[in-house]
Amino acid sequence: MTRTRFSAEVLTPEGEVFSEEVEMLSTRTAAGSIGILAGHEPMLAMLEPTELRLYRSEAEIVRFAQAEGYLQFAENRALVLVEEAIAPEKLDRGTFETKLSDARGVADRAQEGSEELARALRDIRRYEAFLSVGQ
Amino acid sequence: MASQRDVKNKIASVKNIQKITRAMEMVAAARLRRAEQRIAALRPYADALRRMTRQAAQAAGAEASRLPLLSEHESQERAGLLLVTGDRGLAGGFNSQIVRAGIRIAGELGETGLQSSWYATGRRGVSSLTFRGLELSGSYTGFADRPAYADARTIADDLIEAYIDGRVDRVEMVYNSYISPLTQTVTHERLLPISQATISGEENDSDEPEERAVESDRSKIVQRALVNYEPDPEEILKRLVPDYVEISIYRALVESTAGFFGAQMTAMRSASENAGEIITDYTLQMNRARQAEITQEIMEVVAGAEGLS
Repeated sequence: MTRTRFSAEVLTPEGEVFSEEVEMLSTRTAAGSIGILAGHEPMLAMLEPTELRLYRSEAEIVRFAQAEGYLQFAENRALVLVEEAIAPEKLDRGTFETKLSDARGVADRAQEGSEELARALRDIRRYEAFLSVGQ
Repeated sequence: MASQRDVKNKIASVKNIQKITRAMEMVAAARLRRAEQRIAALRPYADALRRMTRQAAQAAGAEASRLPLLSEHESQERAGLLLVTGDRGLAGGFNSQIVRAGIRIAGELGETGLQSSWYATGRRGVSSLTFRGLELSGSYTGFADRPAYADARTIADDLIEAYIDGRVDRVEMVYNSYISPLTQTVTHERLLPISQATISGEENDSDEPEERAVESDRSKIVQRALVNYEPDPEEILKRLVPDYVEISIYRALVESTAGFFGAQMTAMRSASENAGEIITDYTLQMNRARQAEITQEIMEVVAGAEGLS
């Protein structure tokens, strides 16, 4: 069954990584996983680091490891703004494993309730999500 | 008077310098093109982020003004000054004009009773501030040629942390904004606190006029009801605002990079031209020296012949 398509755009500060018509888009918001189909109600959501999937069709899925960001859906257009979107094959696991252990070290030393701790925890979430995509 | 051989050596060395400056000019031109592309690549993201921030701020209404990054500190004692410079020199006044502007601004702030905390990106800025005996609260080097978003995030995190913890009561940024390959202007921007006007979009926006036309006053009122926010607009705004700071810093970094290569290209071009002039002068001098030597020899020969006869 073919679904109605809608246009999806994925932007990062370093440029556009995806702009095509898709059947479905799936990602994760603060409240949980979410799938967007054509005709979804207008929304503005905050995204958590996860695997972003763009379904060109049932079988053809484009995947990205996405960092924190935002999703806007209006007038059958999805706009995904993320700080980073990396294709799984370009994901350098070694780098992120080092970064993850660094961030864990910072989190252990940081003071309770400080900005530093919040930042380290955010980094840990991001790198864990990236590494789970790379598997 | 310099001998013919001396002048010849000088010409050879100036020619070598000219080769280097020509090569640097070409390298800078190529890197400039890449840096320009990165400015262009950033624009859609930055515009979209600004639109979302505006949308969330309108939906959040009065709640927005309670965010720590949007509210001014009551006592004004310390200002954070972020200077954006390059990692390398040989680019005319590119780095020194930023440092000079920073010092002037610090002086002006000092007159109103504000002390300055220094932050600098780029080895040039860091070393000139250190040389002047100023203590740096933050220095960020090694990426001026190719800044990544993560670099901007590190800087933004530090500044936001300092602002929220009350170590600084406002943050100013000085950078070279990129106008064209030939012009960079020193730009001075307030980073924190972010003014309400910036967030709610009262500033001029030249982009996407059709989008603004749709956003009539009436639609603003019903907007919150129609759009599904996940989580609340207030929560979204809490994260959008720091992102806004990050993107402002990132934009300054990429503009500064493009500006640097523009300045370097211009500086190297005029250096090559100067080298050309020097070569012409020396060639003239060498010819004169050679002519003088020949004349001298002829005179000697003539004098010798006369002596014999």
